[in-house]
Amino acid sequence: MADIVLDHVSKSFGKVRVIDDLSLTVQSGEFIVFLGPSGSGKSTLLRMIAGLETIDRGRLLIGGRECQTVAPGQRNVAMVFQNYALYPHMTVRENMVFGLRNIGMASDEIRRRVEEAARILEMDQLLDRRPSQLSGGQRQRVAIGRAIVKEPAAFLFDEPLSNLDAALRVRTRVELAELHHRIGTTMIYVTHDQTEAMTMADRIVVLNDCRIEQVGTPMEVYTAPASRFVAGFIGSPAMNFLPVEVINSDGQALATLDDGSTIGLPPDIAGRGRLDLGVRPENVGIVGEGGMTTGKVKVVEHLGDRTIVYVVLGDGTPVTAQTGGHSQVRAGEVVGLTFDVEGARLFGTDGLAQDQAAAI
Amino acid sequence: MIRDAKKEWLIALTLIAPFAAIYGLVFVYPTIDMFLLSFTDAPLIGAGDYVGLENYTRLTSDRRFDTAVWNTAWFVVLSVIPGTFVALGIALAVSRLSGRLQTAVLALFFLPYILPVSVIYLIWDWTLNFQFGIAMHIFDALGIDRIPVFKSATWFIPAVALITVWWTCGFNVLLFLAGLRAIPQEIYEAAALDNAGRWKTFSRVTWPLLWPITALNFTIQLILQMKIFDQVYLFSQGGRPNDNLVMVYYIFQRAFQNNHGGRAAAVAVVLFFIVIVVSVLNFQLMRFAERKQ
Amino acid sequence: MTPQTARRANLAGGAITILTVVCAVIWAFPLYWGIVSSLKPEDEVVRPYIELWPDTLTFEHYVHALTATQIGRWYLNSIVTAVGTTVLTILTSIFCGYALSQLRFPLRRPLYWLILASFMVPTQVLIINHFVLVANMGLLNTWAGIILPQLIHPVIIIIYKQFFDQVPKEFREAAVMDNASEWRILFKVFVPMNWGVTTALSIVVFIWSWNAFLWPFLAATKTEWMTITVGITQVNDAFGIYYARELSLAVLAGLPVALAYLLFQRQVTRAITLSAGIKG
Ligand SMILES: Nc1ncnc2c1ncn2[C@@H]1O[C@H](COP(=O)(O)OP(=O)(O)OP(=O)(O)O)[C@@H](O)[C@H]1O
Ligand SMILES: [Mg+2]
Repeated sequence: MADIVLDHVSKSFGKVRVIDDLSLTVQSGEFIVFLGPSGSGKSTLLRMIAGLETIDRGRLLIGGRECQTVAPGQRNVAMVFQNYALYPHMTVRENMVFGLRNIGMASDEIRRRVEEAARILEMDQLLDRRPSQLSGGQRQRVAIGRAIVKEPAAFLFDEPLSNLDAALRVRTRVELAELHHRIGTTMIYVTHDQTEAMTMADRIVVLNDCRIEQVGTPMEVYTAPASRFVAGFIGSPAMNFLPVEVINSDGQALATLDDGSTIGLPPDIAGRGRLDLGVRPENVGIVGEGGMTTGKVKVVEHLGDRTIVYVVLGDGTPVTAQTGGHSQVRAGEVVGLTFDVEGARLFGTDGLAQDQAAAI
Repeated sequence: MIRDAKKEWLIALTLIAPFAAIYGLVFVYPTIDMFLLSFTDAPLIGAGDYVGLENYTRLTSDRRFDTAVWNTAWFVVLSVIPGTFVALGIALAVSRLSGRLQTAVLALFFLPYILPVSVIYLIWDWTLNFQFGIAMHIFDALGIDRIPVFKSATWFIPAVALITVWWTCGFNVLLFLAGLRAIPQEIYEAAALDNAGRWKTFSRVTWPLLWPITALNFTIQLILQMKIFDQVYLFSQGGRPNDNLVMVYYIFQRAFQNNHGGRAAAVAVVLFFIVIVVSVLNFQLMRFAERKQ
Repeated sequence: MTPQTARRANLAGGAITILTVVCAVIWAFPLYWGIVSSLKPEDEVVRPYIELWPDTLTFEHYVHALTATQIGRWYLNSIVTAVGTTVLTILTSIFCGYALSQLRFPLRRPLYWLILASFMVPTQVLIINHFVLVANMGLLNTWAGIILPQLIHPVIIIIYKQFFDQVPKEFREAAVMDNASEWRILFKVFVPMNWGVTTALSIVVFIWSWNAFLWPFLAATKTEWMTITVGITQVNDAFGIYYARELSLAVLAGLPVALAYLLFQRQVTRAITLSAGIKG
């Protein structure tokens, strides 16, 4: 177990800057998820920690040891690849043993570790099979087993579930979380799937465009997104962004929508002027009359437990609302909308949440 | 990846060294040596004096060289063109079959290719034997006069070319089969839906798609057959080698039978350039054809 | 298609199939004829009519070949030189192909182009200089002398490079994370992952080498150093020609490669297509 510190690291491929002056501390024993859209540099960052990519500038500390120039095998981290990369010509046991043999470990110790890993992952009966004789889920488990036997300071996962079908993905997700619970080793996990991130992470690192957008617990990231990007990326359906003019009036913060209607905001909310008001769909209510504003329903999606309603305001601003499973709203109707502004966020034109901007 | 550039360079060097040593010793050095030798009057083994271009100028009036060049060209024409078409025919026929029958039929066509040239020589020397060969019985039955093919200046090259086609055709069949297999089945299904007959399917679908493989086949054979020696040498034994000379045979004769290392090297250099020029031309032509497609 | 035209198409298809089989049998007939003739007594061989099966089946020519010629010695020479050539060619090609495919080093590109360019050079033109070289090294009439010039098969290197290129890069990365040295990555990961190619290529290099004529013919000036491919053409009986005897030698020389082919048909055909630059 070890903490991992990235200290002002940068990385370029040729002229393209992929990681730009990034700093991050992963606590020992923490389950950290790198979340971000495709091409945001998640894999690159993970591979920099593993040693599969060089670090151009900055320092990497694993368990206090400076590692940016240490060979990948010597960093005491284990990686699980997206396609598992199980050696096809070796049995499961040989796959797990290969790395231990390479460092000349005593065979007693090797046997102990393989047995231990097989016990943890419940795969005793698979040990003498070849990867081609395993199902996708079993291969996944073997890939993790190959990492476990190294008893590393940290596990690195690069989208390990993306090759599994949906049901298996959910099950394996739970198993992984459980595994982390049991062995307590630091884990860094890369995904672009926010559900995986929300369910497994102790903390989520949201990456976008070479940079960290936000680091926080799943709830922090969800309820207090630091930027418009994070707010839009996390949560489904995505957060609504309403262009508003925020003014002070009698100690009250008032937001005026482009269609002229006004919404009262919590008095302590930061930010005044031309801003975007972020409201999650579950905080948008649909009422017959007496709403804060009105709009025309475009599409209604019944998902059983909930209903998603797509509305367009008078000035053309789209708003998504999420209501209960038995909504009677129909497309074409004009409905009233209410906004529960308790969890609402204001974002500036630079995309930053206003409380963040104020903090800076 | 973290790479130790110096260590990697050392490992690469170690890995390449055995190959590089062999390559230098039996490829680069002999090639240079061949050029140097061709400007001397050296015997096969031993030193000689520099004679400038004399070995080359002598070739212009060398009757045996002439024979060798023309025979080689004639042989190439007679083996490459029929070889390509026969192989195409066999491949089309074999590709229709399936399962064990296909394997068996392909094996029958392919088997000769796998055998050493001397076996081919002994078998055909026997089959075409003037007195007792089974082919001569067939000639008799058809009322054709028997021909001592390997003793006749007219028939020698055609006969050897025919035997070569029989011997090496299997290789070309394999290439064509690979090409045929690469044609997606859906195209044939589409053609069948359009009620295209056998011939239409072949001329409109198979042949155009097979064209690159045909060119490859043609090229490989062309370059291979320019370097013909073994069969010609073997079938000439006890015959008339001077009428049957081909380029490599002439190199062999000059160097090993007349002990003219320098003059033989000059012939070798000529063949070297012919093969390189043809290879380069071919390569360019293929690239051009590819781009057009 | 109406049932009638369908039936006609079927009939035509059947006819073509039969024709193909007949052609294949005729094609291979000289081989059969050679084998059958080698099993006939010498007087029966020269009968002026066609007999598809011997009246008296005899193995006397094989006995003669095995006892009165040096064929045992030639077999040995062939096996040693063919195996030697195969092992050395495959090993050096694996090394070189791996370096070209997986390592970054100065002059990698030029080396690659050099190897590609050497495809074009006809080794036949080098016979004089090979002979001089091998003679000067004192290796005429030795196994080493026969093997040495046969070790140039640049195509094998290129095939290995292509196959190593196709190994997903995660395997190399996994091995690096597993602390494997470069040698272990090569021998424990890349080579075993490509056993199929190695088997196929070994078989063809063996066959090429077994069948090589020109160089072994030059390098062995004494009969006891000839490979079987060369040796069987050099048997001259003092009195007359014994056709059946010669054919029995041909059968003995062709047998190993024919068997190798029939046993490993799939690998042989695959390797041969590969060697022509086509992915089979
Ligand atoms: N070897 C490389 N050479 C050049 N550019 C690269 C290389 N690897 C990654 N990149 C670039 O770096 C950026 C980040 O890539 P990275 O693989 O880290 O993204 P990612 O967040 O993992 O995306 P995904 O979710 O699609 O896996 C991309 O723009 C990519 O094109
Ligand atoms: Mg990625």
